[in-house]
Amino acid sequence: MISVSQLSVSFGAIHALTGVSFDAANGKITAILGANGAGKTTLLRTITGLEEAASGDITLDGESLLKKRTEDIARAGVGHVPEGRGVIAEFTVLENLRLGSLAAKVNFQEGIAEQFELFPVLGERRHQHAATLSGGERQMLAMARALIAKPTVLLLDEPSLGLAPLVTAEMMATISELCAKQNLTVLLVEQNAKSALKVAHDAVVLHLGKVVASASAQEVAGDERLRQYYLGLAEQ
Amino acid sequence: MTWLSSGFMSDVFLGITNGVLYGLIALSLVIVWRSTSILNFAQGAMAMFAAYVGMTMSSHGLNFWACFAIAIAAGFALGGLTERVLVRPLYKRPEINSIVVMVGFLGLLESAAAAIWSTAPRTLESPFSQIYFQHHGSTILLSPFALFQIIAALVIMTAVGAIFRYTNLGLQLRAAALAPEVARLLGVRVNRLLTFGWMLSSAAGVVAAVVISSSGSIGLSPTIMDGFFVFGFIAAAVGGLESPLGAVVAGLMIGLVQQFLQDYAPSGISSFAPVIILVVALMIRPQGLFSTTKARRV
Amino acid sequence: MSKLTTFSDARPTTTRFIKATVATILVALIAGYVLTPSTDIYIATAAAMAVSVMGLSILTGFSGQVSIGNAGFMAIGAYTTAIWANHHEHFPIVLSLVGSMAVGALGGIALGLPATRLRGPYLAGMTLAFGYVMTPFIQSLGSWTGGSGGLYFPVLVTPTWFTSLVGESENLIGANARYQAVLSVLVAGIALFFAANLSNSRVGRAMRLVRDDDVAAELVGVNLAQTRVTAFAASAALAALGGSLLALVAGAATSSTYGVALSIELLSLLVLGGMGSISGAIIAGILAAYTDLIMTKINSLTGIDPFSNLGANMKGIIFGVVLITMMLAAPRGLVGLATTLAAKARRLRSGAN
Ligand SMILES: Nc1ncnc2c1ncn2[C@@H]1O[C@H](COP(=O)(O)OP(=O)(O)O)[C@@H](O)[C@H]1O
Ligand SMILES: [Mg+2]
Repeated sequence: MISVSQLSVSFGAIHALTGVSFDAANGKITAILGANGAGKTTLLRTITGLEEAASGDITLDGESLLKKRTEDIARAGVGHVPEGRGVIAEFTVLENLRLGSLAAKVNFQEGIAEQFELFPVLGERRHQHAATLSGGERQMLAMARALIAKPTVLLLDEPSLGLAPLVTAEMMATISELCAKQNLTVLLVEQNAKSALKVAHDAVVLHLGKVVASASAQEVAGDERLRQYYLGLAEQ
Repeated sequence: MTWLSSGFMSDVFLGITNGVLYGLIALSLVIVWRSTSILNFAQGAMAMFAAYVGMTMSSHGLNFWACFAIAIAAGFALGGLTERVLVRPLYKRPEINSIVVMVGFLGLLESAAAAIWSTAPRTLESPFSQIYFQHHGSTILLSPFALFQIIAALVIMTAVGAIFRYTNLGLQLRAAALAPEVARLLGVRVNRLLTFGWMLSSAAGVVAAVVISSSGSIGLSPTIMDGFFVFGFIAAAVGGLESPLGAVVAGLMIGLVQQFLQDYAPSGISSFAPVIILVVALMIRPQGLFSTTKARRV
Repeated sequence: MSKLTTFSDARPTTTRFIKATVATILVALIAGYVLTPSTDIYIATAAAMAVSVMGLSILTGFSGQVSIGNAGFMAIGAYTTAIWANHHEHFPIVLSLVGSMAVGALGGIALGLPATRLRGPYLAGMTLAFGYVMTPFIQSLGSWTGGSGGLYFPVLVTPTWFTSLVGESENLIGANARYQAVLSVLVAGIALFFAANLSNSRVGRAMRLVRDDDVAAELVGVNLAQTRVTAFAASAALAALGGSLLALVAGAATSSTYGVALSIELLSLLVLGGMGSISGAIIAGILAAYTDLIMTKINSLTGIDPFSNLGANMKGIIFGVVLITMMLAAPRGLVGLATTLAAKARRLRSGAN
C-alpha cells in the first residue's frame, strides 16, 4: 500500500501540494484527478523522489520513501511513466526496453516476449527508433519499459494525453487488465476523469494542491458536485 | 624515391601520427561533455599527471607495459576522484563556475607535477624503435613507434566506441547523458555512471599522454599537454562536442591541416593555425561539423 | 541557483569613484616619498596588474565571457611598447601607451568577432587557443620581436621637471623607479576610472544583461554581437595597457612571460578580488605585486627551500587551489566573502539580542 500523509511540496513561493493525505490500496487502481496545475504530476514526482517534500510522509508498505533516492525507489519496485512518456527518442524500441530491464535484473528475452505479447505493435517496430513512433505507440513503449522490470507499483502520468478516444479506451482496458492479472498497485493520474473513473477502484480529487475528495471511484463518479467540478474543468 | 617518401605522403604520415592523439583527446572531452555538460580544461593536465605516476614506476624497474597499465589505472582513479570532489558540486552551478574551476585544476596539476617531478622533460623507454622506415633507399616518415601510436589510439577509440554502442553499461551511460531523470526512474544509478564516464574519459586521455612521454622527440613535462589539449579541444569543437565520431575524424583532419600549414605556410601563420582553424570551422558551422543537434547555440 | 548571485555588481557612482581614485593616487604618492625604490617597483607592478585584471573583469565579470587567454593581449601591449621604444629613442610615453591600447583593442576585436557566435566553454576554449599560440607566434616574428630571447628597450627616461618636483634621488635607478610608480598609478587610475564609467554606462548595463540572460537582453533591444565585441575590445585594450606598464617596469618584453600560466594567474586574481568590481581589481593588483614576497614568506615560514621544485612551484599550486576553492565556496571574491561574513555576523548579533 502506498500511503501519503500530510504531504506538502513547494517551489519557492508556489505551494504545489498542501497537506495531501490518501491511501492507495494494493492491487487496485487509484485515480488521481484534477485540473491542470492541481499538483498531480508533483505528487507522482515526489513519490519517486524527483521532488523534495517540505513536510509529511510517503510510505510504501510501511516504509518511508522520502529519504530514498529515485533509483533506489525504482529498484524497490515502483515504476513511473512520467508526464510526456519519457521514451528516449534516440534509442530503438529494443534499446528502450533493455534499459528498463537492466536495473531489475530480469531475463530480457522473456521480458520482451511478454511485452510484445501485451503490445504486439512494439514487436513489429522493435528495431525502429522511438522518435519514429506515434503517440500511442510511445505510450505503449513507456509502459512496457516500466513493466518489464516487474514493478509492484505503477505510476502513470496522464497516459491518455494526446491520444484518440478509441486508443485511450484501449489503453485503459490494458491498465485494468494488468492490474487484475499482475496484482499491480496503480496510481493513475488523469485529467480525463471520465475514462479514468471507468477503470479505477478509488479516486482522489486534487484542486490547487489540496485533496477535495477521496473515495471509491463509484462515489466520486456519482457525486454531482464533484462531477460538475470536473466537467467544468475537463472540457476537451 | 617512391611515392611513400614524397613530400606529400610525408606530411600525411606525420599529420596522421599527431592527428590520432588530437582525436583521442577530443574523444575524451566529448565523453564528459555529453554526460555532464562540462568542458574539462584540466583533461590534458590530468593525463600528464597520470602518465608521470606510471613513469615513476619505471625507475622501480618495471617495463614499459607495466608502467603503461599503472598510468591508465592512475588515470581511472584521478578521473573518478575529480568527478566526485571537484565536478559534482558544479552540476547545479552556472557554466562560468565550472570553467573557472577546471582551469584552476589545470594550473594546480601542472604546478604540482613540476613540484614533484621538475620541469625537465623525461622519456619513458618504449619497446618500439623510432627510426624511420627505409624503402628502396629513401626514408618514409613512419617508424615502428609511430605505427604503435596510431594503432594504440585507434584501439582505444574503437574500445570506447564499442563500450558505448554494444554494452549494457554503454546503454546506461548514453541514457544517463540523454535523459538523466528518465534513467533514474528506471533504476539506473546515474551518479555512479557520471563518475565512471569521467574515469573512462580520463583513462583515454592518459593513453595519449603515455605515447607522448615515450616519444623521444617530445618527452613528458608538466606543460607538455597544453598544446595537445588546444588541438584536441579544437577537434572536439570542430567535430561538434556531442559527436564521438566527429571528434575522432576532426582530430585526424586537424593533424593533417597543421602539418601541411607547417610545411607550406609562413611560420607566423602556421603558429597561429589553431585559432584560424577553429574560427574558420565555427564560422562555417557554429554547431560543429558533425553534430546532429540542430540549431543549437554553442 | 540563479546566475545573478555569482557576481558582485559594482556600480560605483562617479563621484565616489573619483574620491577613491584620488585617495589611491595620494596614498601611492605619499608611499612613494616615504618608501624605498624597491617599493616603487611593487607599486608600479600593482598598478599594471590591477589594469590587467580589470581588463579581464570587463570581459568575464561584466559580460560573462570567460577568457583563458588575456595574457595574450598583455603580450600585444608589451611588444607594441617595446618595438616602439626601440625605434624612437626619446619616445613620448603617453603616445606609446595609447598606441599599445589601440593595437590591443584591434586584437580584441579580431578575436571578439568570431567569439560572438560562441558561448561558454567554446568561447573559453578559443581564448585558450589564442593565449597558447601567442608565445610561438611572437617568437616566429624574430626580426621584430627578438625571438625567444625577448625584446629589450632603453629604460624610461625621467623628465627633468619630475626630478625637480620630486627631488633628486640617490641614484638614477631610484628616481626612475619613483617616476615609474607615479606614472603607473596615474595611468591605472585613469584606466580604472574609464572602467567604472563603462560599468555605469548604457554599454556596461547591456553587458550585464547579456551576461545574465542573453535572450532577454536581445528582447529589450540589446545588440548582442556588438556588446560582446565591445567587451572584448575594452578588455583587450586594458590588458594591453597592463602589459605595456609591466614591460616598462621590466625594461623588456619576453614572450614566455605571457603564457597560459599568466592567463590562469589573471583568472585567479580576478576571482580573488571579485569579478566585475573596481576595488577587486585594485586588491588583485596589489596581491599580484606582492605574490613573490608572500611566497618567500611562506617558504621561509614552512622551511621549504625556495630553489627546490616545490618552492619554485608553490605559487602555481596556491593559485590553483585558490581558484578552485574560491569558485566553489566564495564565487564573489574576497570582498564578497567579507560582505557575506559581515552580514552573517550582523544577523547572528541581532538574533542574540
Ligand atoms: N519545477 C517547478 N517549478 C516551479 N513551479 C512548478 C514546478 N513544477 C510544477 N510547478 C507548479 O506547481 C503546480 C502544480 O503543477 P503540476 O504538479 O505539474 O500540476 P498538474 O500535473 O496537476 O497539471 C503548478 O502551479 C505548477 O506551475
Ligand atoms: Mg501534470
